[in-house]
Amino acid sequence: MARRELARSAWETIEFLGHPRRFQCPRKTTLLPRRTLLPPAARCLSTTPSRPAELTTEGPERFTAAPPIDFGKQDAGDSGDGSPQRVQLRSLRIVPASPSYFSAKPTFNDDFIHLSALLRKVATLPTIPNAEAPKVAWKTIDQYRIMVNEPVKTQRFHKMLHILRRLNTINPSLMPDEVLGAMQRYKKDSQPGDVKPNSGAIDELGRAKGVGRRKTSSAVAFLVEGEGEVLVNGKSLAQFFGRLHDRESAVWALKSTQRLDKYNVFGLVNGGGVTGQAEALTLAVAKALLVHEPALKPALRRAGCVTRDPRKVERKKAGHVKARKMPTWVKR
Amino acid sequence: MIIRQHLARTGSRALVRSSSHPLRRFLSAETDARHVSADDSIKQLHTLDTQLDTPSLPPASTNDSHTHPSATPAQLSAQVAEQYHQFKKQQQLIGKLGSDITPHYQPHTLLNNPPSPADVTLELLLASEAHQGHATSIWNPANARYIHGIRQGTHIISLEVTAAHLRRAAKVVQEVSRRAGMVLFVGTRDGQDRAVVRAAELAKGYHLFERWIPGSITNGQQILGRCKTKVVNEKDVEIDGFDEQLWGRPVLRPDLVVCLNPLENYVLLHECALNNIPTIGVIDTNADPTWVTYPIPANDDSLRCIQVIAGVLGRAGELGQKARLAAAERGEVVYSPAKGLVLPGDEDKAAADTSAREQLSPDEQQKLDEGIVDPDDLATMLDEAAHHEGKAKSDRIKVVS
Repeated sequence: MARRELARSAWETIEFLGHPRRFQCPRKTTLLPRRTLLPPAARCLSTTPSRPAELTTEGPERFTAAPPIDFGKQDAGDSGDGSPQRVQLRSLRIVPASPSYFSAKPTFNDDFIHLSALLRKVATLPTIPNAEAPKVAWKTIDQYRIMVNEPVKTQRFHKMLHILRRLNTINPSLMPDEVLGAMQRYKKDSQPGDVKPNSGAIDELGRAKGVGRRKTSSAVAFLVEGEGEVLVNGKSLAQFFGRLHDRESAVWALKSTQRLDKYNVFGLVNGGGVTGQAEALTLAVAKALLVHEPALKPALRRAGCVTRDPRKVERKKAGHVKARKMPTWVKR
Repeated sequence: MIIRQHLARTGSRALVRSSSHPLRRFLSAETDARHVSADDSIKQLHTLDTQLDTPSLPPASTNDSHTHPSATPAQLSAQVAEQYHQFKKQQQLIGKLGSDITPHYQPHTLLNNPPSPADVTLELLLASEAHQGHATSIWNPANARYIHGIRQGTHIISLEVTAAHLRRAAKVVQEVSRRAGMVLFVGTRDGQDRAVVRAAELAKGYHLFERWIPGSITNGQQILGRCKTKVVNEKDVEIDGFDEQLWGRPVLRPDLVVCLNPLENYVLLHECALNNIPTIGVIDTNADPTWVTYPIPANDDSLRCIQVIAGVLGRAGELGQKARLAAAERGEVVYSPAKGLVLPGDEDKAAADTSAREQLSPDEQQKLDEGIVDPDDLATMLDEAAHHEGKAKSDRIKVVS
């Protein structure tokens, strides 16, 4: 047994010594001069005039493919028996974890193949228009890249998103659980509609609270049903706001909906200037009013009382006189 | 007459409808009209109008309760589901009825049920347009032996040669998979991805349908270093606990590469040639057959032809894998195992081994690594081998005579 093994290895050595070229790099073979690139004369298949070899050899670097496999020689069937532990070790081999290993982006390609196979499977299910499909916030490419830790190309990711959007338009009553589960992986953690604004409640004393901000001012307003009395920081509206315009804008939410004589307002404002405080009160009163009467929302929106005005003073920049103003240009 | 019948059919329903409307209108008018927006009220008016109009319109079908315009979206989608299930049921019942359709080409069958190497016929190859070459002006003369002739200015590939080469390539894939080799299927043209993925799935191989990243073999550690590997036993069952040992190992390289569009994959084939990795390629009349080890002369521009070839090679790989798993069931291991692996419990013993090895001189270590034998030993071994072989030859001669 051992003798035969020895004999085989020795014969391999002899072969190696006898034919050294066989084990050399196949690029060094001297076949090149013989390949004159002329068709055989017997079968004239070319319609183009033949050119000298030195003209046709320009192009990419030439190489010769690996030699054919010699299956007879490589029979490495190692079927000797040993202890159970040795049996396990000699049968172990290392393979890629994914069939997409050689694409260098195995997770992404596996995801893509899985999703396209899923789409083929459910392609005949009825769909709804894209506008009516449930709103989904998909992961951005950066989030996805962090998740899989692979350099995914933007274009390829968008192809995958296209499949996901198509899957999302399947009629909700026929949506398979499999698709829902598959889509979950590509959704952001927080979805639109997850965070519902607290609608507020009227407390036991009949008060509704609203908070509003404008510029650097902030205001809290408490609204109770009453006869139209307004107190801001303990003073009446006329005492607190000197300008008529500010008095009007502080209770504009009530005035535009003709509720001025139906509610009492108790407001607390701080920060900022007079205009900011008045307009912060507008928002606070509108929000408190919405707690009492939610149906007023469209009317209040048209009156411009629902949206917070996000404008703030722009910061001053270095090299500028103000936020954007540049110093006067002096020639010298 | 018709009108009278129609009235008789729908009259009672119309009465019921009209009686229900005042109530609905009353309910909808309960919200404060002043605060309802203009658009909302217009919308409401529209819906009211449609509700009021429907009884006067002739109903589209007898069961018009399903198609009532004021049905909520939830009701509508429930209807869709119901109709879809009915349609499916109907399809199951009457789908097979009707005239017999003669066998014809169905594109999906090549992917769902690819032909096996035994199914390769000249008819199949001809039907899949494997014979169409390129215009004669752009030919590569090295393909002259694969070309049957010229027709209308294009070369026609000889299908006998194609079939023979395809069968040979299938045999190669089968043998490589039987020995647990890693077969990589590459098709980077548009539309080849499904064929490539399917072939890899059948052969338990690997696929590439995007660009080959240059250097994946010659500079593999940089490019594939992050991709995960695993340890499996002869029955392809993953063995856990080797994660730490897999960390620093060199990246894997394929044992056989099947390239369906060699023209675009020059870099891949060059890298394979540099690393002595055999390749199989679909060689059209404008490609260089020396780029690959086993050329398959065929039309690489036809997706159908590519699907046939990829399917045949995938099926061949499947046969090889089956043979390997059958051998594994019998307890045979047909490949050389991974070197340097230590069973997860045995790290201490392995460490002791390596420390013992470090006590040897560097020369001896190298010899151990490379399996080099001393010249004296080699001479005796050669003598013995020659003697043994001579004896064997004489035995054979005896048997023959």
